Amino acid sequence: METKDIEKREENKASVRSRCDVIEKPGEILLKLEMPGVSKEGLEININGDQLEIRGKKDPLKGEDSRYLIHEIRDADYHQLYTIDDTIDRNRIDAALKNGVLTLKLSLKESEKPRRIKIKAE
Amino acid sequence: MAMVKYRNSVNPWKDFERLRDEINDLFNVGLDSEPRGLFERHVSPALDLTEEADHFKVMCELPGIEQKDIDITITGKVLTIKGERKGENRNEGEKVFKKESWTGSFQRTISLPQTVDPDRNIDAVLANGILTLTLPKKEEAKPKQITVKVE
Repeated sequence: METKDIEKREENKASVRSRCDVIEKPGEILLKLEMPGVSKEGLEININGDQLEIRGKKDPLKGEDSRYLIHEIRDADYHQLYTIDDTIDRNRIDAALKNGVLTLKLSLKESEKPRRIKIKAE
Repeated sequence: MAMVKYRNSVNPWKDFERLRDEINDLFNVGLDSEPRGLFERHVSPALDLTEEADHFKVMCELPGIEQKDIDITITGKVLTIKGERKGENRNEGEKVFKKESWTGSFQRTISLPQTVDPDRNIDAVLANGILTLTLPKKEEAKPKQITVKVE
């Protein structure tokens, strides 16, 4: 963990958490992360055990020899960690990036889905 | 020619601004693009305006917004970007655990620098949730190369 912090400091670029919606649907969990300015190439999603790590590198907006007159967009990359539990199928995670919104679809394991038990009438 | 105030290239507040940003990051402040004014009813998305040699560039963060939902107008020297971000319909059996994204109308108005030529073609591109406008400068405001003859 410590070495990671040092690495981050060496990069010397701030990272922020992106705005996120968490929605549960039957059989899956949707994570919607707002990452304006991140292209498909700059996106990195890793699953390490229980940790889901999402990194989004912003493409530089400003040209080399231009100067800011208004500067409100944070010059920071996106980084966040989520802890996912055992009910999520690690092999069935879909990611889609559209209009700067990353949608992660985490499917529940088949064994975790609710089952209805029918009662046989005799 | 208009007189322009001398701008020091070293910004003495830069370190303070960075410190403010870092403290805000600790508390995750500034995540919401809240209405800025007292009577504002719209969300104001974050925006950058940069100047290059022959054009200005406006970049605006509009994640999750379709091209057809954005309306850009220029009146004189005033640029307005507005539109609506539609929420998704919630189906039965869906549970929302956390909602940090905003929906509803947004509007942002800025005054453009005097040297923008509003009559010329303005490029607007929406990519990866960022709207980029390229505003050309007036011919007389563009830098010209003057060669000095040595005799």
